[in-house]
Amino acid sequence: MITAGIDMGAKTTKAVILRDGNVIARALTFTGFDQKEAAEKALADALAQAALNRSDVARTFATGVGRQQASFANGSMTEMAADTKGSLLLNNKLRTVIDVGAEEGRAMKCTAEGKVTDFAVNEKCAAGAGSFVEAMSRALELPLEKMGEMSLRSKNAVAMNAQCTVFAESEVVSLVHAKTPKEDIVRALHDAIANRIVSMARRVGVEESVGLVGGVGYNIGFVDALRRCLEVESVWVPEQPEYVGAIGAAVAAAEAA
Amino acid sequence: MMEVFRDWFEHRHDYAKQWQKKTGGKVMGYFCTYAPEEIMYAAGILPVRVLGGHEPQAVTEPHIFGMFCPFCRDCLAQGLKGNFNYLNGIMISQSCIHLRQAFTSWRLHVPVEYNYYLPFPHGVQNPPVYKYLTAELRTFQKSLEDWLGSTISDTALDHAIDVYNTNRRLLREIFDLRRGTHPPISGLDAMYLALSSQMVDKAEHNVMLEELLKRLKTKAVSGNGNSRIRLMLIGSENDDTQFTNMVESLGADIVIDEHCTGTRYFWNEVIPQEDRLAAIAARYIDRPPCPAKDWPDRRRIPHILNLAKDYGVQGAVLIQQKFCDPHEFDMPAIAQALKKEGIPSYNFEFDVTVPLGPFKIRMEAFLEMLRGEELFV
Repeated sequence: MITAGIDMGAKTTKAVILRDGNVIARALTFTGFDQKEAAEKALADALAQAALNRSDVARTFATGVGRQQASFANGSMTEMAADTKGSLLLNNKLRTVIDVGAEEGRAMKCTAEGKVTDFAVNEKCAAGAGSFVEAMSRALELPLEKMGEMSLRSKNAVAMNAQCTVFAESEVVSLVHAKTPKEDIVRALHDAIANRIVSMARRVGVEESVGLVGGVGYNIGFVDALRRCLEVESVWVPEQPEYVGAIGAAVAAAEAA
Repeated sequence: MMEVFRDWFEHRHDYAKQWQKKTGGKVMGYFCTYAPEEIMYAAGILPVRVLGGHEPQAVTEPHIFGMFCPFCRDCLAQGLKGNFNYLNGIMISQSCIHLRQAFTSWRLHVPVEYNYYLPFPHGVQNPPVYKYLTAELRTFQKSLEDWLGSTISDTALDHAIDVYNTNRRLLREIFDLRRGTHPPISGLDAMYLALSSQMVDKAEHNVMLEELLKRLKTKAVSGNGNSRIRLMLIGSENDDTQFTNMVESLGADIVIDEHCTGTRYFWNEVIPQEDRLAAIAARYIDRPPCPAKDWPDRRRIPHILNLAKDYGVQGAVLIQQKFCDPHEFDMPAIAQALKKEGIPSYNFEFDVTVPLGPFKIRMEAFLEMLRGEELFV
């Protein structure tokens, strides 16, 4: 059976085509102002990749903050449920799934069957999310993709209290003035985000194995900070972690049969 | 019929002004539900609870600390903005320092004819408290008598106690109907009932409650007729009708609450004694406690668990005004106690206005979780 999942995130919209439990195509587009158009485009791109038509898709499910806009979908679910379903398809050992996207951080605890048993979400502040990392990359004049690698070179832990993106930026400025090496600043930033995310995850109770999904999963420096802060052996990150929510929606669409 | 209660709540200032005009009586704003309303009512006063307006404002900043709760801030804003300009007096019964700050600031910046600070003790579990509060109530009664230039008779106190007890009994009878599989009224309606009773002449309120109860019993009103996920709301002051409406629109029934704006306000009655003030004092001392007064025994938690069981609750929403320490302190213990009974809970931190979009996502996820668990039963 072929199903589709669409994840309408704050910044990007992702679409995935699933055939019998395997992801056969994926596409991403900026969400922008017209969310429905973004959903249509992402789905069309993914279908084109798989050389399929809309009529080949048995069912489409939507998730993400803007999911109501994908009115053509046959069903919808929250990000927490979709993230968990998608993660468990890729790694069924996971019991804690952490999702760090552009503007939201989430932690879910789940059963072996992929049911969410508890969850927590960041509130009113994006200091523990991807937009924050992007803002800091601009402040440090360091390309986003270089941040992870650079922070791993750091030998010193510098304390930083990233309560809010704007104040954290002024902390970064102070560290720059104090001639703190860039790699230490980047590591401090990753540690600060990890601290916020882990505090949230501890609210639901961390159980291994732990997985990280969402776009920030690309940042190897953050993954390392998260692992250290969680005090676990390893944090599992899938390939192309930003698609996991969409995969979960496609899985749910298949299960709805 | 429900519209009457909703209108009373939503147009509470109009109601109070009309009451004042009609009766020539005095209206007293009170700041906490530990206020002994019976004494004021016996003096011919209409006690109205001061609640917030849920609108962003910028007038309280110089008067209230940054880490004081949004509720006390919102209450003070109502005074500073003149929304309560018809009040003849204000009074507070000591509960927490945040709300007291709103009261003292109001007294300072919005002068009214009469104001009173009632030092309601925190140690409601200490044996001497009954005697102490009775004496304080006597002082309060005297102060009211001096202000009004007339005495408050025992007959008047008896009448006030009777009107208030009737109101409590009627509200409880109506709330009891929500224990059934199909609650005849929604959580939002229940909220309007409890809230309106805090600002309307209870005698008038009773007439409408009696009529409503009759209709509900004969099923002339079908109610929302749902049998969906049964939720309980627990926590600090909550008159956020938008939030309740949002929760119920997602396929949940709020079947019971434990808020001072809800059941804590009316749950127990005055048990008559020869000394009327002693009887009133005992009622307020023995009521389901605010966490600010729930020491050293934790009486609130067993009360919550009883309610949850009695009303067949499947999940609980823990609501806390931002920076409300007593409630924040209680939440982990409540969550744990509920969990032991197999009732999952989820926390929301309230502000003057709440972000309905993000709250909705979290509420949906919580309901998804509850439904998911149902499948395993």
